[in-house]
Amino acid sequence: MDAALLEQMLLGALLALSVYLPLRCGQLSLATPGFYAVGGYVAALLSTGVPAFAGSGATSPLPALLAEMVLGGALAGLIALAIGGPVLRLRGIYLAIATIALVEILRVLNLNLPFTGGAMGIFGIPQPFAHAEGYVLFTLALLALACWLCQRLEALRLGRAMAAIRDDELAAACVGIDTPRTKLIAFVASAVLAGVTGALAAHFFNSWNARAGSFDASITTLAFVVFGGSRLWPGPVLGGLVLTALPELLRPVGDLRLILFGAVILLGPLFFPQGLVTAERLHWLAARLGRGRHRGRQAPQAP
Amino acid sequence: MDLLQILVNGLSVGAVYGLFALGYTLVFSVLGVINFAHGAVFTLGAYFTYLLIGGAVGANGLLAGFQLPFALPFWGALPLAGLGAALVALLVERVAFRPLRRRRADPLLALITSLGAGVILVNLIQLLVGAESYAIPTGALGGLPASFPLLGARVRTVQALLLGIAVLLLALLTLWLEGSRNGKGLQAVAEDAETAQLLGIDSTAMVRLAFGLSGFLAGVAGGLVGLSVSIAGPYFGIGYGLKGLAVLVLGGLGSVPGAVLGGLIVGLAEAFVPADWSGYKDAVSYGFLFLVLLLRPRGLLGRPLPTKV
Repeated sequence: MDAALLEQMLLGALLALSVYLPLRCGQLSLATPGFYAVGGYVAALLSTGVPAFAGSGATSPLPALLAEMVLGGALAGLIALAIGGPVLRLRGIYLAIATIALVEILRVLNLNLPFTGGAMGIFGIPQPFAHAEGYVLFTLALLALACWLCQRLEALRLGRAMAAIRDDELAAACVGIDTPRTKLIAFVASAVLAGVTGALAAHFFNSWNARAGSFDASITTLAFVVFGGSRLWPGPVLGGLVLTALPELLRPVGDLRLILFGAVILLGPLFFPQGLVTAERLHWLAARLGRGRHRGRQAPQAP
Repeated sequence: MDLLQILVNGLSVGAVYGLFALGYTLVFSVLGVINFAHGAVFTLGAYFTYLLIGGAVGANGLLAGFQLPFALPFWGALPLAGLGAALVALLVERVAFRPLRRRRADPLLALITSLGAGVILVNLIQLLVGAESYAIPTGALGGLPASFPLLGARVRTVQALLLGIAVLLLALLTLWLEGSRNGKGLQAVAEDAETAQLLGIDSTAMVRLAFGLSGFLAGVAGGLVGLSVSIAGPYFGIGYGLKGLAVLVLGGLGSVPGAVLGGLIVGLAEAFVPADWSGYKDAVSYGFLFLVLLLRPRGLLGRPLPTKV
């Protein structure tokens, strides 16, 4: 498997985590690709237009990349903070459609604003890493950080509050959980993660245009989470990795590949309604791995 | 452009959005989910119409050069294309919706399975007839003139047809929903599927009926848009599908007159966007949708749902 595909899979996993965060407190938000596009434009504009970020022509310094990721995440987070209050009052499918509308509004703005390069977008974005392998290592670290934070969440009051809202929002409010605030935190965190991912992706793809954040992308990222499983963080990560790789791995079948991809999306939820990763399967896997390790340790003692 | 011309343009585009949203709304009212394959069914309706009036497939795709041995007039082709689209919608229900309902799975999953069905349909079209655009010749309308004057504005015959057919279909649908046994049954299932079942209404048949009708409406809308603009390739339904979604929420999920009202409002709002700002046209309707959602979350004509504890 080549490093470029691996990098795309890792980016897919990060985006899937961004969709997972609001879902963790029961909010179906499809806004992730919109924030991803915003983060990408921040990085693209800074690194091609501002000398301090641009570095020497084709290459750009690593600190500049980090600064762009912070700024891209911050702008996405601010947008989420600004609209989150009223939008998160909506429930279920209404919230989903409002966030689709948000993605479309951002896409049209990106397409038409005077400084975003129109339909062609922005290209010739300088590279902080000489090879795709550099991106892979960097993104792997970012993904590990995101996974660690998601895992940490399980033990924190905030994470428990989010789970309580997912299971029953009214009951959660009754036991004193500030539900609007908790939902807003999840929404903003999702936007920040998408913005940071976008800033990194803009460098990796070398060019950035409005197609990065489209309705198709909204549904594809949702498919990552539904396919992998929406209850535990390893679910979206697995879904993002697998479903990003799938269209590429199916390339040998030629014209049939997108039809097969559609069939996987269609059949996946029918056979695995909870997604691939469930608590039960994780326990089973842990038990098997644990037994394997146990046997390994016992082996030398055998006479 | 004077006001009347803008009105005519806006209303005819709005009529298409309305037809589109009607299909969404029928399915939503009985199942409570959105059928993301609806755009692909609309696209198929356009291709069916093109083939039925005797159009030939281009050089790309597996069906290169294929042509039906007969050519129907547009008036005959359009309802047949609608029926073809209805059959496809029934197939979508069968593979993407019914298995989930039988397993009582999370309705959210239907968003994904129907999208999968849509991806399959769109790519199947591309595989069979290629990605090029097809135009339905305006001569397909027979002896009708391409446009006629109305109170000083120039109205394209196609625009008048779009509006006329949309209004006709809406009227028929409303009459049928209110006046026929099956229409009442559909409403009962929309209200409460379980109770309807207990009262002896076959809710599975009603769901199938809703899908068939929604497919027919989408197919007819597809054929009309194909005639009015052109078939811009297998993906051309997606843009309309998104707009239909905005219209659906604007009018109120599950409301039949709301879908048409929403369609006309969005069509008019887009027509009033000045030419210099035409790039922002799509954002206007979504901005509008956003406002309506925030001020009146149930849409313009939607009923408030009781909060269940």
